[in-house]
Amino acid sequence: MPVQELQIRRSSASSPGLDTRQREMPVVAKYIDTTICIGCKACEAACAEWNDLPPVATEQLGSYQTLPSLHANFWNLIRFDERQMTDSVESLEWLMRKDQCMHCADPGCLRACPAPGAIVQYENGIVDVNPQNCIGCGLCASGCPFDVPRFSAKTGKMSKCSLCVDRVGVGLQPACIKACPTGTLQFGTKGDMLSLGQQRVEQLRANGFANAALYDPQGVDGASVVTVLAHGDHPEWYGLPKDPTVPAGVRVARSVLRPIGLLAVLGAVAAAVVHFLAVGPKEAKDKPTGNEERPT
Amino acid sequence: MSNIALKAPPGATDIRASEDVVREGVIVRHSTSARVIHWSVAVTFFLCLFTGMPIWTPIFGWMAALFGGLEVCRWLHPWTGVAFAVASAAMFVRWIGDMRLEKSEREWANPAKALKFLVAQGESPDVGKYNGGQKLFFFAITLLMLALLLTGLVLWFPRSLSRPVHEWSLVLHDLTFILSAVAIIFHIYLGTAAEPGTFQAMSRGTVDKAWARHHHGRWYRDVTGDRRH
Repeated sequence: MPVQELQIRRSSASSPGLDTRQREMPVVAKYIDTTICIGCKACEAACAEWNDLPPVATEQLGSYQTLPSLHANFWNLIRFDERQMTDSVESLEWLMRKDQCMHCADPGCLRACPAPGAIVQYENGIVDVNPQNCIGCGLCASGCPFDVPRFSAKTGKMSKCSLCVDRVGVGLQPACIKACPTGTLQFGTKGDMLSLGQQRVEQLRANGFANAALYDPQGVDGASVVTVLAHGDHPEWYGLPKDPTVPAGVRVARSVLRPIGLLAVLGAVAAAVVHFLAVGPKEAKDKPTGNEERPT
Repeated sequence: MSNIALKAPPGATDIRASEDVVREGVIVRHSTSARVIHWSVAVTFFLCLFTGMPIWTPIFGWMAALFGGLEVCRWLHPWTGVAFAVASAAMFVRWIGDMRLEKSEREWANPAKALKFLVAQGESPDVGKYNGGQKLFFFAITLLMLALLLTGLVLWFPRSLSRPVHEWSLVLHDLTFILSAVAIIFHIYLGTAAEPGTFQAMSRGTVDKAWARHHHGRWYRDVTGDRRH
């Protein structure tokens, strides 16, 4: 949803000159402390309610998880991963994590998108889909290391968490943050959320979780969603990629093949022109070779 | 009207219905059906090009306006791709019989020699209907078309295969498109400005005898029975 008040940092399939940022605005971030999430799903309900997303039929997966994965009409999903840490059944841990768009600083979706302005990154770091520009090709999904964008059969466009850009743009917190009863979710500037996360990680380490860490993937230049993990050495236990980056194929296609292709096409035209001027056309002479007799 | 005897035999509706014959003083190089196939490939190729290039890079975004916008291109491009694949398949079937590479033509596979043939004027006088370069070009574009078709199908149905397959199909589709675009530029140049008299082989279907003798000596002798050259 485009918001007039927010200036644009980057826009898909557009020249770098599109940066319209005049003012200095801090990057915002969502903070998720998985260690105190109780799996109440208030954030799921708040997300669907604020964004007016029609209900999606739930699926029984043998767990409390609402759906197998994100959906065009379900942008905020609490994942319930149950894990036995040692041989003892006593060691069962419920690793609940809120899954949604990470709002990467270097968004693979935006890089992959071929439609100008269909994906924008606002000055405050929020990455959003503009449905009126989206052509529904699905390339953003190939560019996303977190498997977030979903195709909406209803609109033929892509759909994902907007970090409630319409709320944030007028100084409100995202709906999910507002609904969280435990303090698992916090919202503020990226700097504040990082220091909050570091404090919590130190506290966890002091309390026996030696590998606790703050998940802020540097492979995508950091994200506007930072996640506290008690087992920070194993983000994959929470369904998070260990070292996410913009997929190599998307980078090759966009940053290598585009310039090379343009040069190759221009070079071919230039070579033809130069050949025509320097060597000239191969005229079919009546007399093919040597001093043979000319046919009459 | 000395060549009245060479006119179409009684009952023939189109003097260019059959190839490799002399009609009214000129040689029929491509029959009507062959030319229809060729231009079907050409038209569908350019439809693919003009609907695909605005999706490839925003620099060519203005091309989308030819079709009514990028969204129309996104819808149209797969279908022009299907049409291109069908036309290309017909072309493959139509020409594969003429494309057997002879021993003497294998040196066209050597890029340095091929370049010498293309850039310089001279070439073996014993060239049949197609030279080694044309035959290799035929097989190269056949491979490119296959790759474009397969990767295009993956991109058409992005959610049917895993993300890495989709991602690398994008790379391969772009790469094969770039190679095809470069190939088509040289193909057009060679068929028009670089070799006068060539274009009419695909437009009117005929070439004059001097052209045939110069570019395809053996084919000329086989068609005309003229053994003097």
